[in-house]
Amino acid sequence: MAEFMVNYGGVVWGALGAAVAVFLSGIGSAKGVGMVGEAAAALMVDQSEKFGKSLVLQLLPGTQGLYGFVIGLLALGSLNASMPLAHGLYIFMACLPVGLSGWWSAIFQGRTATAGINLLAKNDEQSTKGIIYAVMVETYALLGFVISLILLNAVSF
Amino acid sequence: MAIVKMSKFDLLAFNSDRENLLHELQKFNYVHFLDLKEDVSLEDYDLNTVEVPESIVAIDEKIAKVRNTLEILSKYRKKESAFKTMQEGLETFEFTELEERALQIEYDTICNEILTLNRNIDELGQGIVKSNADISELSPWIKLDTPIKDLESFKQVELILGTIPRKLGQKVEDDLVTTEHTYYEVLSEDKENLYVLVMTSKDENVLSNEILRNCSFSNVKIDIEGEPALEIAKIEDNIKSLKEKISENEIKLENLTEELPDLQIVYEYLMNRKLRITSSENFLATDTINVIEGYIPTDMSEEFTEIVKKTLNNDCYIELKEAEKDDEEAPILLKNSKFARAFESLTGMYALPKYNEVDPTPFLAPFYSFFFGMMVADVGYGLMLLVCTFLVLKVFNLTETQKDTIRFFYYHSIFTILWGLIYGSFFSFSIPTGILDTGIQYNEILIIAIIFGIIHIYFALGINAYMSIRDGKPLDALFDVGFWYMALTGGILLLVSSVATLPANLAAISKYVMIIGMVGIVLTGGRQSSSIGGRLVSGLYSLYGISSYVGDFVSYSRLMALGLSGGFIASAINDMVGMLFDTGIIGIIFGIVVFVVGQLFNLFLSLLSAYVHSIRLTYVEFFGKFYEGGGTAFKTLRNKAKYISIK
Repeated sequence: MAEFMVNYGGVVWGALGAAVAVFLSGIGSAKGVGMVGEAAAALMVDQSEKFGKSLVLQLLPGTQGLYGFVIGLLALGSLNASMPLAHGLYIFMACLPVGLSGWWSAIFQGRTATAGINLLAKNDEQSTKGIIYAVMVETYALLGFVISLILLNAVSF
Repeated sequence: MAIVKMSKFDLLAFNSDRENLLHELQKFNYVHFLDLKEDVSLEDYDLNTVEVPESIVAIDEKIAKVRNTLEILSKYRKKESAFKTMQEGLETFEFTELEERALQIEYDTICNEILTLNRNIDELGQGIVKSNADISELSPWIKLDTPIKDLESFKQVELILGTIPRKLGQKVEDDLVTTEHTYYEVLSEDKENLYVLVMTSKDENVLSNEILRNCSFSNVKIDIEGEPALEIAKIEDNIKSLKEKISENEIKLENLTEELPDLQIVYEYLMNRKLRITSSENFLATDTINVIEGYIPTDMSEEFTEIVKKTLNNDCYIELKEAEKDDEEAPILLKNSKFARAFESLTGMYALPKYNEVDPTPFLAPFYSFFFGMMVADVGYGLMLLVCTFLVLKVFNLTETQKDTIRFFYYHSIFTILWGLIYGSFFSFSIPTGILDTGIQYNEILIIAIIFGIIHIYFALGINAYMSIRDGKPLDALFDVGFWYMALTGGILLLVSSVATLPANLAAISKYVMIIGMVGIVLTGGRQSSSIGGRLVSGLYSLYGISSYVGDFVSYSRLMALGLSGGFIASAINDMVGMLFDTGIIGIIFGIVVFVVGQLFNLFLSLLSAYVHSIRLTYVEFFGKFYEGGGTAFKTLRNKAKYISIK
C-alpha cells in the first residue's frame, strides 16, 4: 500500500482534486438551478411572458459549476502518471476552495434567486434588483475560484 | 449637468377655470403639483379638498373598454417580425396632435363592434362545447337504428336502455339465462360501463328488472326523438356551421385590426385626461377659488407664468420664487450630458439626490465604465458589444430611454476593448498588445485594482469636501475629509514603506501625517456630541471607521477576480475546442458550435457580473462616502405613453 502511494499517490490525489472541484460545485449548482427552476415553472402558469427574465435568474447559480469545471480542467492538465505525492496533494488542496465555496454559495444563491422569482412575479419592474441581490452571493464563489486558480498556477513542482 | 433648479409657485384660480388650466398645463408638461392635503400650515384656513369629479368614473370605464378592445385586437393582429417592429419603432406625436387625432376617432362604435364580435365568438364557442357534450352523450347509442320515440310504443314488450358496470357484465348474462322472454344486447362499452339494451316481455319484466337491479343497472333516458346516428349527424352539421360563423367573426376582427393604431392613440389620450383630472386631487379649494402649489424648473418660469395668465385672462394670483436650497419638498429633475445621461438609471435605482446634494451621475459614470471594462476585459467581447450597440442605435427607431440603455453599453464596449488590449486577450486567445499577463501577473493586477479603488474612494471624499465648502462649511471639509486624507495616505505610505524601499524621510513624514490625521479624527469626529466625554468616545468610534476603509479597498479586488475568471472560462472553452479540432472533420463542426455557444454564454455571464459588481462598487464604496439621496422625482403632467412616443 505504502509502495503504491509512493508510486501512484500523486496522480491519484491530483485526479481526486479535479474530481472534487467539479462535483462539489456541480452539486451546488444543480441544487441551486433546480430550486430556481421549480419556482420559475410555477410562474409560467399565467405569466409566460416573463420567461426570459426568469431564465436569467435561473442561470445565476449555474456559474459555480462552471468555475469548478474550469479548475477541474486546469488540474487535469497538470496530471501525469509519475508525479510526486506532494504535487498531487497540493493539487487536491488547491481544488478545495472552488469546490466548497461553489457548493454552498450556489445553494444560497439559488435561494436568493428564488426570492427574486417572487419579486418578478409580483413586480416586474423591480426584478433587476432581484438579479443584483442574487449575483452578490456569487462573489464568494468567485473568490474561491480565483484562489484555486492562483494556487494551481503559483507553485511549480 | 446637475440637478435642475426649481421654482415654487403659489397659484389661486377660479374653480370654473380649473379644467382649462390643467389642459394648458398638460401641454406645458413640466409642472409638479404638491399634495396640499398633507400641508399642515393650510389646515387652519378651512379649505376643502377638491372632490374628484364623477367624470373620472366615466373615464375609467372608457379606459377599461378601450383596454379590453386593444387586448382582443392584439390577439388577431398579424405578427410582424420583431426586427421590423423595432426598426419602425413607436410613432411620434406632438401632444396637441395627439389630442386632435384622438377627438376625431369614433372609438366608441369601433369598440362596441369589436366587443360584440368577441362576445359572439365566445358564445359560439360555448355552443360548440355544448354540442360536443351532446354528441358524447349520444354516441354510445349510435347502434340503435330506430327513432327513440318508437321504443316506447310496443304493446307486449318493454324496452329498457341503461348502463351496467363493466365488471358485472358477465354476471348479468349468466343471470338472464334463467329468463325466457328477455333479450339482452351490449350496444357499446367504455372504460367503466357497458351500454345495454334489454327487451323483455311485459309478463316477465318483474323478474328481469330484479336481475338487472342486482347488477347495478341504471336506467338511461335519451332526450331525443329520432335515430341517434341521424341526431349526431345533425349536431355535427350544427358544429360545422358554428365554426364557420366563428371564422367569419374572426375575419371581421382581423380586418378591424387596422383600427389598432387609432385605438392606441385614444388610449393614450384617455390616460392623459385621467391624469389631468386626478391631479386636481392635489389642490385645495373654497367654494369658488382653487389653491394650487407646485414646482416648475426655474428656467421655464416665464413661459409658465405667461401660459397661466393667458389661460386665466389674468384672473388669478400667482407667486413664483426659487426653491430654497434645503427645501425638502423640491422635486428632482436631472439634466446631464449625453454621456452621463446614460447612467442616470443607476442613480435612480439607488435613490435620487436631495435638492441640496449634488447629482452623482456625471461623477460615477467614467469610473463605472472603466471598472466595467476592466471586469470584462476582452477585445473580442468589446468589439461584439461595440458593433451590436452601434447597429441597434443606427438601425432601430428607439425611444429616448431605450437609446440611453443601449448607449450605456456602447460606452462600456470602448473600455472593454481598452482593457482587452492591456490584458492581451481576444476571445481569450493572447494577442501581442498585452502589457499584463493574467496568468502570471495577478499580483500586479490585484495591486492595480486596489490603487484604482483608492483613487475612486479619494474622489468620493473629494466630492464630500466640495459639498461642505460649497455650503460655506470649510472646516467640515477639513474635519470629515482632510483628516481622513491624511490618515489614509499616511497609513498607506507607511504600509508600502514596510514592503518596498521608499526614500527614508518619506516613511517618517508619512508616519507623522498619519498621526496628525488620526488625532484630528478623534478630536473632531464626534463634534456633534455635547459633552467632552461623548465627543472623545464618538471621535474614537469614527477612527474605528478606518477598518471599514480597509474593507472598502479590499473590495476592489473583484476588479481583478472578475477579469481573471471570465478570461479563464473562455480559455477553457478554447482548450476544449482545440481538443475537438484535433479529432477530424466532425470534431471541427462540433468545435465551432461549442466555441460559439460557449463564448456567447461566457460573454453573457461576464457582462452580467460586470454590470452588477460595478454597481456594487458605486453604491457601497463610492456613494457611501458622500451620497445620501432620498429626493422625490419630478412628476410631469403627462402619462408615460405605452404605444406611442409623445414629444
